[in-house]
Amino acid sequence: MAEQASWYGSFLAKFSPRVQEKLFALAEGFHFKAGQEIFHEGDSSLYLYIVKTGRVAVELHVPSKGRRNIYTASAGDVFNWSAVVEPRLATASVRAVEDTEALGLKGGALMDACREDGELGFELYRAITEVIAARLIATRLQLLDVFSVGEK
Amino acid sequence: MTPSLPRVAASVVTAKASLQKVFDNLRVSGFSLVGPTVRDGAITLDEITQMSELPVGWTDQQSPGKYRLKQTREPQYFAYSCGPQSWKQYLHPSRLSLFSVEKENGNWRVQPTRNLSPRYAFIGVRACELSAIAIQDRVFMTGEFRDPHYARRRGPIFILATHCTQSASTCFCVSMKTGPRAAGGFDLAVTELPDNFVFEVGSEAGSEMLRDTAWEPATAFDLGRAAQACARAEREMQRQMRTDDLPRMLYDNLDNPRWDEIATRCLSCTNCTQVCPTCFCVTVEDHSNLTASAAERTRVWDSCFALDFSHVHGGNIRPTIRARYRQWLTHKLASWIDQFGVSGCVGCGRCITWCPVGIDLTEEVQAIREKAFK
Amino acid sequence: MSTAMPTLEPRSAQDPMLPHPAVIQSIKSEAYGISTFSMAFVDSAEAAAFRFFPGQFNMLYLPGVGEVAISICSDPGEPQVLGHTIRYAGGVTRAIGRLRVGDVVGVRGPYGSSWPVESAAGKNLVLVAGGIGLAPLRPVILSVMRQRDQYGRVLLLYGARTPADLLYSEEIGRWRDGGIEVHITVDLADENWKGQVGVVPQLFYRIRVDPKQTLVMTCGPEIMMRFVIYEALARRIPKQSVFVSMERNMKCAVGFCGHCQFGPTFICKHGPVLNFAAIEPFFGKEDF
Repeated sequence: MAEQASWYGSFLAKFSPRVQEKLFALAEGFHFKAGQEIFHEGDSSLYLYIVKTGRVAVELHVPSKGRRNIYTASAGDVFNWSAVVEPRLATASVRAVEDTEALGLKGGALMDACREDGELGFELYRAITEVIAARLIATRLQLLDVFSVGEK
Repeated sequence: MTPSLPRVAASVVTAKASLQKVFDNLRVSGFSLVGPTVRDGAITLDEITQMSELPVGWTDQQSPGKYRLKQTREPQYFAYSCGPQSWKQYLHPSRLSLFSVEKENGNWRVQPTRNLSPRYAFIGVRACELSAIAIQDRVFMTGEFRDPHYARRRGPIFILATHCTQSASTCFCVSMKTGPRAAGGFDLAVTELPDNFVFEVGSEAGSEMLRDTAWEPATAFDLGRAAQACARAEREMQRQMRTDDLPRMLYDNLDNPRWDEIATRCLSCTNCTQVCPTCFCVTVEDHSNLTASAAERTRVWDSCFALDFSHVHGGNIRPTIRARYRQWLTHKLASWIDQFGVSGCVGCGRCITWCPVGIDLTEEVQAIREKAFK
Repeated sequence: MSTAMPTLEPRSAQDPMLPHPAVIQSIKSEAYGISTFSMAFVDSAEAAAFRFFPGQFNMLYLPGVGEVAISICSDPGEPQVLGHTIRYAGGVTRAIGRLRVGDVVGVRGPYGSSWPVESAAGKNLVLVAGGIGLAPLRPVILSVMRQRDQYGRVLLLYGARTPADLLYSEEIGRWRDGGIEVHITVDLADENWKGQVGVVPQLFYRIRVDPKQTLVMTCGPEIMMRFVIYEALARRIPKQSVFVSMERNMKCAVGFCGHCQFGPTFICKHGPVLNFAAIEPFFGKEDF
């Protein structure tokens, strides 16, 4: 299990061995072909994904502008954190840009397990919070449009 | 038999009228004299030839935001402190043409401007001002790059300094260890006593200018009176500034709330940087003729209080008065020490007198110190 | 008065403000509003004598218009022709943008400190660039590629606003072939972009280096560099191993006009390349 954890990168490495085992018990492997739409904005969020290889694009549709690619997740990155955050609806659409292998943790079962196992609950939500925080900081920088002429 | 000229480091006494002979000797040697004179209600610097053009019988009253001249009963020639101008306007002029470029058939001719200036003799340079000149010498002549314009003007200057025998309320040279007595760097230094002048000879050139002045060696009594006169200037000094914890104290207090308070008063008017004898910031101006076949580049004084001073594409690094006042004060009293090995402030008090709202940096430094986060 | 300062040997007796004419030999459009101007001194002796180190800059002058500080982006091993990647942001740069091949520009330099490429020998180098910040790092890449075996892993983390704003895109392949690991990202993408989308500091998640054996050199908008430093320090890279290239208003480039000061640092003399550990107390101070 530890060897598998290493290539899933820092997300799974944050968990204690006991919790990692519980997570793997709820895990399924996924293969997405390049160009395949994984889920659509507004869909029920079923799985929390961790990318093993490849790349997926997180996109939002803007009326009259089309799909805007706002973030790409690559090896070790987490996407669809809304699988464990109410109302468990996808906040963006995700499409595989390259052939992608990912581990998916079933969101509903994961949340049930968290209610029963406090330690699992704490560790999972701490790790998810760190993911969302890093995403927030990155989004702020994108918002500031630092490369535009006229900015400092 | 007394030699015709005193030796260097000697002190001599002359009658007051002999100062005119010193002036004449200087002029015959090719110097243009610049000295203090009364104009527009202030003691300003101007070209002079006669000792009668000095502010004889005048003194000044200075306080934060206030400057007045007052007549005295005794006909003293040097009984005042610094006026709004400093010697930097002669060594580091406010406008200086650097070069011109002529374009012909795609070829350029870069022509450095021949900036001729007279050989100046500075009359009545005070100890703090000598320190300021020495500081600018460091800035312009000791780094990897030299300013040839400053060096060219600076070389031939003759300095007739005066040891202060009184101080204005805004003076604090004692705190900055720059006065009231000039320690060196002069050709002649004069101490004014009620009935005569005591001259200290600082160089051979200084000695030369005492020719035919009917000088006599100063006696112990003369020297004692001169020392007492300077001691009076030191005793009278009202302001002080604690500097032993600089630059560290200011570096550690960049977020001190006092800066916000100062910003409610400071107008960012740039007066302080103009009257300060060590401020050296400049900018450049470019002008071309109508056909763009010739252009000139001119260097002009600038101020860190100007909004655009810190302009980078699309914005200013220091958009607030708070930021700009902080820049000026921390540069003058802190960064300057790391950059040049000495403080940028000589304690002349001009910035206090000429600030329209009377901001006193000695008070502000103490307030920052007291409000410092422990 | 205190003791005299040691006097340094002056670089030259001439007025350092005098420009030296140089002819534009080529102009290459890199992105919208950004072009690289390559020029050579009119005086062949000056052209032959000019030397610069990666990270240094020249002052480019147009008579009657003004002067601007521009990093030298070309190969330090070929200093007879000097490249400057210029973004049209103000009056002087826009005037330069209207020039043609064969036109003359005034040049003086090189000025400033340089990237510590020699002290990176035997170590890993992570170059992190944002937007036109890649220009002063390009000479590092070219120098390193000449002696690739002197260095450990060499990585370039580079990002721009959109794919169209990426500089030197046709050289990236050559750099990869030369042993540079290149990671690219953009802030904003269209459907055609198959690469990464996200901000430059996020590229640290794509790499893993031994923090004790790695130097980081970064150039870009100051806020980007702030977060790059955050990511580098979070990965335990020591502060003394992080170098930034800073920018301030410059009028003289020789330490006399006072405009470029950042605390006690003159960006034109002590910078633009600065060691983060040395400037940490001031870096990120608002309005400083």
